[in-house]
Amino acid sequence: MHQSAPLHGHSKNMSNQTMLLYAIALIVLITMALVAVILGPVEINYLNTLSAHDALMESYILWQVRLPRILFAIVIGASLGLAGALTQGLFRNPLADPGLLGVSSGAAAAAAGAIVFSGAWDWIMPELRVWILPCAAFCGALLVCFLLDRLARWLSPGSVMGLLLTGIAINALVAAFIGLSSYLANDEQLRNLSFWTMGSLAGANWMIVSLMMIVLLGAFIYTQRLTVQINALSLGESVASQLGINLKQLRQRIIVMVAFLSACAVAWCGMIGFISLIAPHIARVIVGPDHRQVLPLSMLFGGLLLLIADTLARTVAIPAEIPVGIFTALLGAPFFLSLLAKQRKTMI
Amino acid sequence: MNKDQTILSLKDASLKHASLKKTSLKRLSLKAHINTLGPFSIDIKSNERIAILGPSGAGKSTLLQIMSGLHEHDGGIEFLSKPIKQMSVQELSYKRAFLAQHHETAFNLSSELIISLGRVARDHDPELVTIIKESAKAAQAEHLLERSYQTLSGGEKARVHLARVFAQLWDQQNGLLLIDEPMTALDPGLQIELLSSILTYCQDRSHTLVAILHDIQQAIEHFERLILIKNGKIIADLPSHPAPHRELECLYSMRLEKLTRPGRKDLLIPSDPGCSQAI
Repeated sequence: MHQSAPLHGHSKNMSNQTMLLYAIALIVLITMALVAVILGPVEINYLNTLSAHDALMESYILWQVRLPRILFAIVIGASLGLAGALTQGLFRNPLADPGLLGVSSGAAAAAAGAIVFSGAWDWIMPELRVWILPCAAFCGALLVCFLLDRLARWLSPGSVMGLLLTGIAINALVAAFIGLSSYLANDEQLRNLSFWTMGSLAGANWMIVSLMMIVLLGAFIYTQRLTVQINALSLGESVASQLGINLKQLRQRIIVMVAFLSACAVAWCGMIGFISLIAPHIARVIVGPDHRQVLPLSMLFGGLLLLIADTLARTVAIPAEIPVGIFTALLGAPFFLSLLAKQRKTMI
Repeated sequence: MNKDQTILSLKDASLKHASLKKTSLKRLSLKAHINTLGPFSIDIKSNERIAILGPSGAGKSTLLQIMSGLHEHDGGIEFLSKPIKQMSVQELSYKRAFLAQHHETAFNLSSELIISLGRVARDHDPELVTIIKESAKAAQAEHLLERSYQTLSGGEKARVHLARVFAQLWDQQNGLLLIDEPMTALDPGLQIELLSSILTYCQDRSHTLVAILHDIQQAIEHFERLILIKNGKIIADLPSHPAPHRELECLYSMRLEKLTRPGRKDLLIPSDPGCSQAI
């Protein structure tokens, strides 16, 4: 299909402006990252670590703790932002969000099931065990996505209400499954489980960070080819198919992408809500509704938001650390309410 | 392509129920109603201008939907001498454009972007920027390019979508343009302007035009063939000249007065006794 996203209706002057926006967003992100490196329970001085060799501990903290953590926050935030932008494009609805619609909790429930029940599967090699969780999360997310797509179109096409109510129902169903898993879990499994429901970036290490970077890069390149088609989708399904868009194929591609990105985030950091709702909104306010710009910018803002939230989570109550999911919810829930207030005309 | 060659042919074609969009809460009654629409059989020649007339609910839109080839259907449809089922939506979109009556956009896209989406199915489109400009000019939407969709009035929205449809078949010949009462909401002056730009557009490119119209006079004046639909059946399929006085009266169940004008096509106006007295 689309080998390259052609310049659909864009003058040169416009793209210069967008380039400037990208540059500003990137600079802000990098600055924030550099600031975040300094902040933490142990003070780190850049010059010290670069020059002196006796600052072993500082250097260890910098390279093995802070840097992977900060990169991890950016990468996870970016995948959440991308997943959010894709979901909103797919459902043609600015209130759609993988978290609110139950995709993330679907992934978390499958992961919870895997934590509790995989103990019984002795025949799986220990090396493969690491992958059970992400795989289970992906399956869970994918299942919820397909279910949502079917249900939401069957209930009331294009209605905000129908979609959000479907999300509530799925969230409730999935919560029951998580509850069942934690009821059946032993003490150690329970501790692992509580990690999912709150969300934390504490598990960051270079292996996961580099893996997520590859995943994100792949997802970004892949979705770049879908952006123009997502634009066409916002004209309505019938118009999109009149314009030559293979709806079924496009929908499947977006769904798999959303499920994949949400599952990756959930598998390694648990449930982190609202980033995927807010990031595309900020992007849309800044560059307008064209998905060719909204998608990459959502990634940048998702990364930035989660970095800020995680830095707060690390530093507000030193030496203790608050799960970052609490911060994103504190930030996101009022934002969501304000969006609802704006949308109230279309709700009924 | 030969002028007399058939571009689209329907043989007992009707919509399959499963593919219907659920627009009504009363799905059962909708289904029962749809059952009586069709099947339709028509041969459309290349370069023809056809108007579909009929009272509301008669099945005009259903017929146009069937012609668009996007819905599952019973019976046979051939487009450009190929069974339409074998063509991909992408392939179809190169040769067939559709302008619907109502439009919705989810996000507040700019007019320029909406028009550019007319060519979204093309992988490589070097002429894109020129085509957007030209088709906007043809649809008198050139001044709207920078505006965002939600700030447009009804008439301006219609022009932007018309430009989108123009862009879709801009560099094609012998295509098919399907139009579903696009001008109902517009004021009379604009209606005539847009209709004439549609007609010129089709004539320049030998596109076949099939339009659902409300206005009998527009149909007689500008289209060469009329398809009259009532209760889900084609009751007449005839040339627009001489004006089919009796058939149209029967179609709308009302009386029409025929005024012959030397050198021009006949004029048909509703002649309700009550009306004429009031004047």
